[in-house]
Amino acid sequence: MVQEPNRRTFLRTLGFSAASITLSPLVESLLPGSISPAENVPIDLAVAEGSSIPKITSAVVDLMGGIKKFVSRGDIVVIKPNMAWDRKPEQAANTNPHVVATLVSLCLDAGAKRVKVFDHSCDDPRRCYVQSGIAHAARKAGAEITFVDDRKFKEMNIGGEVLKSWKIYTEVVEADALINVPIAKHHSLAKLSMATKNWMGAVGGWRGRLHWRLNQCLADLASFFKPSLTLLDAVRILVNHGPQGGRLEDVKGTDMVIAGVDQIAVDSFGATLFGMKGSDLGYVKEGHTRGLGRMDIENLKVKRVHVPTP
Amino acid sequence: MESAVVRYRIISQALFLTIFVLLFLLTNYRGFDEIRYPVRIFLEFDPLIAFTTLLAAHHLPTLMLLSLAVVGSALVLGRVFCGWVCPLGTIHHFVSWLYHRKEKDILPRSNLLGYRIKYYLLFFILASSVFTLQGVGFFDPISLLIRSMTLFVEPLVNLMVHSIFGFFYDTEIRWITALTEPIYSLLKNNFLSFRQPYFHQALFIGFLFVAILLMNFYRMRFWCFSLCPLGALLGLVSQVSLLRRWISESCTKCDICFSGCQAFARGNQDKWLRSECLVCGNCQNRCPEGAIDFGLSPSAALTKPGPNLIRRNLLVSAASGIVAVPFLRMNSRYRNPNPKLIRPPGALEEGEFLKRCLKCGECMKVCLTNGLQPTLMEAGLEGIWSPILIPRLGYCQFYCTLCGQVCPSGAIKKLTVSEKVQVRIGLAFIDKNRCLPYSQGIDCIVCEEYCPTPKKAIWFIEKRVRDRGRIVKTVKQPVVDLELCTGCGICENKCPVVDKPAIVVTSIGESRSGVNRLSLY
Repeated sequence: MVQEPNRRTFLRTLGFSAASITLSPLVESLLPGSISPAENVPIDLAVAEGSSIPKITSAVVDLMGGIKKFVSRGDIVVIKPNMAWDRKPEQAANTNPHVVATLVSLCLDAGAKRVKVFDHSCDDPRRCYVQSGIAHAARKAGAEITFVDDRKFKEMNIGGEVLKSWKIYTEVVEADALINVPIAKHHSLAKLSMATKNWMGAVGGWRGRLHWRLNQCLADLASFFKPSLTLLDAVRILVNHGPQGGRLEDVKGTDMVIAGVDQIAVDSFGATLFGMKGSDLGYVKEGHTRGLGRMDIENLKVKRVHVPTP
Repeated sequence: MESAVVRYRIISQALFLTIFVLLFLLTNYRGFDEIRYPVRIFLEFDPLIAFTTLLAAHHLPTLMLLSLAVVGSALVLGRVFCGWVCPLGTIHHFVSWLYHRKEKDILPRSNLLGYRIKYYLLFFILASSVFTLQGVGFFDPISLLIRSMTLFVEPLVNLMVHSIFGFFYDTEIRWITALTEPIYSLLKNNFLSFRQPYFHQALFIGFLFVAILLMNFYRMRFWCFSLCPLGALLGLVSQVSLLRRWISESCTKCDICFSGCQAFARGNQDKWLRSECLVCGNCQNRCPEGAIDFGLSPSAALTKPGPNLIRRNLLVSAASGIVAVPFLRMNSRYRNPNPKLIRPPGALEEGEFLKRCLKCGECMKVCLTNGLQPTLMEAGLEGIWSPILIPRLGYCQFYCTLCGQVCPSGAIKKLTVSEKVQVRIGLAFIDKNRCLPYSQGIDCIVCEEYCPTPKKAIWFIEKRVRDRGRIVKTVKQPVVDLELCTGCGICENKCPVVDKPAIVVTSIGESRSGVNRLSLY
């Protein structure tokens, strides 16, 4: 399926083109895609480690070129965390609330008009929003917290290999900038639930049925949803009994946030945290084969930073 | 125009009805694990419920001692609770007023014959509760009102609001939705249910509720006058109350006071029925001579102007109440537990449970998933409208303890979260003929994904299967761990085989039962 350029990408391309024509001698070295001193080459993945969650979150975004690269003034931003379960942050079933809140602040600082945070939860949404800590933290940071409204799921053309059409949450599609903020965790069928799997929370209908051909369906969703940026929360990861967990023995502290534009690459990197390779995950392999992203992270430019504890 | 008494009475009625409706709306999950202001406080002030609970279950929840305040009010002021406080009484009064306000005489077609029925009903209920049958919930006005509001009024109002605003939303005309959507979200965030509730028997319960409201057209406050057993109890108590009514000598015996009386407690001094008087003040208000006055007098307590109950009828009512107990319990469920009778977590053992359950429906109101539904015959005639979990409609949320918090009688114990997660209400069974990994060799395990126990009660066996084209593949086939399964029903609820799920929870294994268990587990 050919992706229609939306307004944001169109304007950005236009802006870059105009700038590169007029100012090319001056700013050539700063532009993405230009071959210049090594540190200015755009990176594919950014990894920040450290014990301060807000700091590592800001750090990965900075490594990716700063939030302004992804969010423009006046944008309506949708941040899609995983808050599917009635579980607390330390149980590592939902995205870390501080990662989400920091991201909300960054977007607002970049001039976003509105920042919406929501998820189509699995458990009762009211409890998920409260127990995950995300509703409270993100609202404090200035986000609009809403529960999904059943009327806003609309049958849309996915054009995937398995999913021809499915009910999709319109606010996700209508956003000027979409930021996917999953948590890295175990999942019995998908093996791992990360960026691609997080789109299950942006769709409606009988979602369980996607399990029947999960890897293909997830690749189909990855071809449909094109986030501006993906942040993988690996502050704590859930290594067993996912996707809900519940036992602290299954939680591993990895104090890390990973960012990238290529969601397949983000998932592929995430797999390494669990001692796997991207190619071990069916949907990552499928996404790579279809050209939706790259799982060969050894060939990608990954930049790591360690943010020391103050 | 109205006299002070009538004005104060109307303010009081409006105030208590408002409190009732507010508490009703607050009896809901609002982001806190605890419900701080449940509407059950109205049931705790209800002496009939306290009395029958004590008789039937030999147990009195401490908060039900509050009902002594209402008994006290009746000892001093007669049936002031009925006339000034009772929310159902106020609703009846309002409906009656709507219909009868234009009539000069608001009791055109009435007579006094029906007023004794409620006393006989009371004796029936009390006699059966002595023999451990808790039948008060069907007739107690507060229980009836909470149940009708929960199962019928609230779903109806929600559906109406959703369909009206949904209509405007669907027009997709921007200036219309710009107008309607803010109102809709205001209503949704403050007054409506989080999700549209649906209940079994909603129309049946609604029919009964509307029927008793319509009876007000036949006779003002028909329910309060003829049927209400709480009114009867308070009527009996108020026979010895201090309330007195004086008629001064200026009385011309015009009988205008008769026409305003809501309860037909009679106008003139000799025949004034203190047990029927709702202390509404209408007679005082209407008297052209100002000849009527209410007051308290210790000597009044000695005279007993009460209902002229016929002893034979009382005996028959009480005897029927006693006989009703075995009649209602003549049920085969005593021979074998009903697999579908999945009670809420914390519910007492079935016999004890039925002795306490008031069928008020509060547990169903707070249930996050709308899975708690009123029974019809699942628990026998005795258990009609008691709560049952229907996993296909809604499961039991793992860390939620709301139903036990709002239960007024302790039929559902209040559990802490750590106690709750240990309680089993049933056990899940997989139907291998329908489960896709078993029957079709298709990957699924949605049940395992949703299973909420920290160590999952559903695990799987990896099985190599061959499809028709001889391609061999590995699928994960789910298995239930009967030591870990709590019977919450989320697996059944989420099973993608929608018409008849491939995993089903039945009541066996429930912690509360000594019998309905798989031995050794």
